[in-house]
Amino acid sequence: MNTSRPEIYLDYQSSKPVDPRVLDEMMPFFTEKFGNPSALHKVGDVATDALEESRKGIAEFINADDDEIVFTSGATESNNFALLGYMLKNKRKGNHVIISEVEHISILNIAKYLQMQGFNVTRVPVDRYGRVSIKKLERRITDQTILISIGYANNEIGTIQPIAETGKLAREKGIKFHTDAVAAEGLVDLDVKRDNIDLMSLSSNDIYGPKGLGVLYIRKGARPNPVIQGGGQESGLRSGTENMPAIIGMQAAARIMKKEMKSEVKRFGGWRDRIIKQILEEIPDSYLNGHPKERLASNAHIRFDGIEGESILLSFKDEGISVSTGSACSSKTLEPSHTLIATGLLHEEAHGSLQFTVGRFNEDSDIDRALEVVPKVVNRLRELSPIYKARK
Amino acid sequence: MKSTKYSEKVLDHFRNPRNVGTLEGDDVASGSVGNPTCGDIMEVFIKVKDDKIVDAKFRTFGCGSAIATSSMTTEMVIGMTLDEAMKVKREDVAGELDGLPPIKMHCSNLAADALHEAINSYRRMESGEVVEPECDDIVQTEHVVCKTEFENNGLYRTIGDPSVFDDQRTLVIYTGEASIKAAIKLTDHTDRVILLTCGKDIKMPDDLGMLLGNVGIKILYQSQLLEIRGDFEVERALIKNLDEDEEYELFIDAVVILG
Repeated sequence: MNTSRPEIYLDYQSSKPVDPRVLDEMMPFFTEKFGNPSALHKVGDVATDALEESRKGIAEFINADDDEIVFTSGATESNNFALLGYMLKNKRKGNHVIISEVEHISILNIAKYLQMQGFNVTRVPVDRYGRVSIKKLERRITDQTILISIGYANNEIGTIQPIAETGKLAREKGIKFHTDAVAAEGLVDLDVKRDNIDLMSLSSNDIYGPKGLGVLYIRKGARPNPVIQGGGQESGLRSGTENMPAIIGMQAAARIMKKEMKSEVKRFGGWRDRIIKQILEEIPDSYLNGHPKERLASNAHIRFDGIEGESILLSFKDEGISVSTGSACSSKTLEPSHTLIATGLLHEEAHGSLQFTVGRFNEDSDIDRALEVVPKVVNRLRELSPIYKARK
Repeated sequence: MKSTKYSEKVLDHFRNPRNVGTLEGDDVASGSVGNPTCGDIMEVFIKVKDDKIVDAKFRTFGCGSAIATSSMTTEMVIGMTLDEAMKVKREDVAGELDGLPPIKMHCSNLAADALHEAINSYRRMESGEVVEPECDDIVQTEHVVCKTEFENNGLYRTIGDPSVFDDQRTLVIYTGEASIKAAIKLTDHTDRVILLTCGKDIKMPDDLGMLLGNVGIKILYQSQLLEIRGDFEVERALIKNLDEDEEYELFIDAVVILG
């Protein structure tokens, strides 16, 4: 193994570095501007002003009003807060929530918890590209349905959901619409007004801000019960002293993203298309997972017949490249990705997937290097495989 | 412990696996084990002379530890008598590799089981015992559980208008040559066609076999369709893997069972 070569990072979906410009803005809030926004003195006022300015910045990022932004500890909390809080608050109106088969684990698990508490949860299936069909969604609405939660885009295979159509349907039916927008952040123009979104989860790290901070957008009239109880910060919706350095970081990240997203998405899309095209052309029996067009600019998710994802990942690791896989063998549960299974893949197929996600600090040469390595790795593992038979 | 935190020995066998390949001959037996859920399939071949394993090879689909344990198992047993080799346990293989992450001890450490199966198969061969499980796809289709509203709404007994299969994930149950031809025809309309049979292989004329291989139909052997599921239309198939005695759901849009 060559340890002197810098690691090539193509797993931006799982974690992103903080942009140095973001970190610069955060630094004073660890030291000289350390105040608590709840305090009434001068030091506290500095923090209060910064907090409200940040709230405004985030609101602009998604075309919301300032008072519709609630800071949380991250997207998992935002998702839990939205589903649990909204269902508890409105249980007199109905007890049914619809999610999809391809939601993030933090939605799936809070939905399971709701079920244990006596709520009804329906999971709408997706097509072979991982997309929710509006027709199938509509059929599942009952007079008890009070919330629909569909992720904006899938964090694994990158498929973008029909969000505007879902928002429109929900609005017509008088049902509130929550979307976990984390995977789409910084890659898609988010607009809660245009898309009739009532609740939306965001994460700071996904736009190159610090970890440990998220947002729940809450439209007026879609108020959930608070889940975290305490001193009544964030208009009583989310208690706990505000994480000011992270909040400053997220607003800085959002401001930079708003300026740079367009050119960034263009650059990523070029890499993505190159990765997909070259691999599918060069490697027999390789397939694209997810939607060919309605997909995130940063995401190339490829499946190879006859080989297993963890072996692919380990081989890439030996080459100094960080990638991700939908394989069970690299997960804690040993279950294959529920998203890939929901698209109709068999277990052994779901195991053979490789995910590239590009990001802000990649360069052309990273993509060159990864594409050089792919055939080498795939061919070697296929030679070991008892189930790979090349087509004639 | 992280599931991919491997010992240097595991990594060495992963990077440079020993004894990769297959063996053939009258004195060769093989054993294959696999777990479709966690995704490891291992095949071990042994060549036996005077009750001793004189050569061993393997092929493995699986994660790093699956490949390493297969490689190590073959290395360990060459030169052993069949009785000695029968005593090689999963733990022994893991031990020789300086351990495995706990989560990998079960699923990805099946090579010893494949070895034992190969030895048993060799012994059966020697004693002239033939074990041939019987299956009949047509009989099995009569026991598929499904709602009547699925008829012609995802479940088809004939291929009428093939355009209803456009882009649909379609499961075709093998019921003879006509079903193979139907499956091939459907590939003009969708690139996701799965053919299911309870048999270990499908007997058919060579030209049909060639055609089947070239259109990219996925074949599920030793499988049985138990139930067709869905809220309003066909959405999932409950399938039993007869070899592993495991059931799982497959997301689909259409099922074809030719009468």
